[in-house]
Amino acid sequence: MLKKRLIIVLTFLDGVLFRTKNFIPDYRYTKNFIDLWSIDELILIDISKKKFNKEFLDVVFYFSNNCFVPISVGGGIKNIKDADLYFQMGADKIVLGSNSIINENLIKDVSLKYGNQSIIQTLDCKKIDTKKIDYRLTKNSGKEITNIDPLNFAQKVEKIGVGEILINSVDNDGGLLGYDLELIKIISNSVNCPIIALGGAGNWQHILDLFFNTNISAACTQNIFHFTEQSISSAKSFLKKNNIIIRN
Amino acid sequence: MKLGIIDLETGNLGSLKSAINKLNIKHSICKKKFDFEGIDRIILPGVGAFGDFMEKLEKSDLKNLLIDKIQKKVPILGICVGFQVLFSESYEHGVNKGLNIIKGQLKNLKDENLNIKVPHVGWNECKLLKDCKLFYGIKDYSDFYFTHSYFVKNFDEKIVISETEYGTKIVSVINQENIYGVQFHPEKSQLNGLQVLKNFNERC
Repeated sequence: MLKKRLIIVLTFLDGVLFRTKNFIPDYRYTKNFIDLWSIDELILIDISKKKFNKEFLDVVFYFSNNCFVPISVGGGIKNIKDADLYFQMGADKIVLGSNSIINENLIKDVSLKYGNQSIIQTLDCKKIDTKKIDYRLTKNSGKEITNIDPLNFAQKVEKIGVGEILINSVDNDGGLLGYDLELIKIISNSVNCPIIALGGAGNWQHILDLFFNTNISAACTQNIFHFTEQSISSAKSFLKKNNIIIRN
Repeated sequence: MKLGIIDLETGNLGSLKSAINKLNIKHSICKKKFDFEGIDRIILPGVGAFGDFMEKLEKSDLKNLLIDKIQKKVPILGICVGFQVLFSESYEHGVNKGLNIIKGQLKNLKDENLNIKVPHVGWNECKLLKDCKLFYGIKDYSDFYFTHSYFVKNFDEKIVISETEYGTKIVSVINQENIYGVQFHPEKSQLNGLQVLKNFNERC
């Protein structure tokens, strides 16, 4: 049986691990603190002003040399050359964001060279009416709301050729109140490629709710307190006790 | 003893190189005929599309050399698309001929109406049907990392070492004499994966 995956998302500002809420950036946390043997996958995102900086590329290179799980890398990819650079530093997949909205050839170019399976397309979704199930895609990390319906866009990029789609709830991100299950269900039930979810995990029960209520392939967490020391393995035993099929 | 890793520049070899380095295995990267001097063991890694991969093999002049090495019983390990090209043909983007060393065809999981998400991405179990040197010290039903859309059909059952359940039975490991192939990515499969690479280098 295919296992459900637990993915850790790490964001970096000039090569230093960064969280906007409840976390003071510190060099000591950047490397070597993750339980590298319990995680299923790693996503590294650069949020620096100046993208493709040496500090972040060093981080990518470091992780690709030290943990033998798939590593996806994102942040500022505008064209195939940008993607090439992350792949050269050891990325197994790249994470595309709103640049795919602007430039539709981006997905095509990367998939022709590296295959569909090497692309994760992120959908940063925002609820525009609190009373209705109505979402829009956003650009620039949620700052700019577009007119694009996330489901339409998901179906479109699947056709062009992405391997996985990452649904990020801009509203729930950092709130630690659980994933947006409605949003995830709408998209996950209507596309055929694996869907992964980000935004809102505050505790293990939230991850269980996600796996229990949707046909999602993987849960992402970027809460720093979720992956220090033994946390990931304890999350996994909790999920296992609740009959979620997950890797040891 | 020296391991050669074939580099067709179709994708990223970084992960495989770092896994091989972690195991302290002496190796060199082979891009053209000349690079094969002193090589007595070959890994054929594969990322990207089947057709592109075969085209690059032919263009780089390595196709015949590879077939010759295999006939001379040099151990070879195909990984993912490198595993798939060992078979007769693939239906990825039209019909493309493979190396045709092993009988079988690659078909898209999407066309099987299995009610599964495609590609098959993530950690899945290998159910061992037979003993194999490649799996020395690895438990039955161990997890490995898969990422692929095509799977082998119309093959000879005798070659199958392990199968993996994903809507249907997927051939995940094969062995025929000196030829080994794995559909998963050992370089991304933590300790079990490293053990597979170590076994290939030391026991196959």
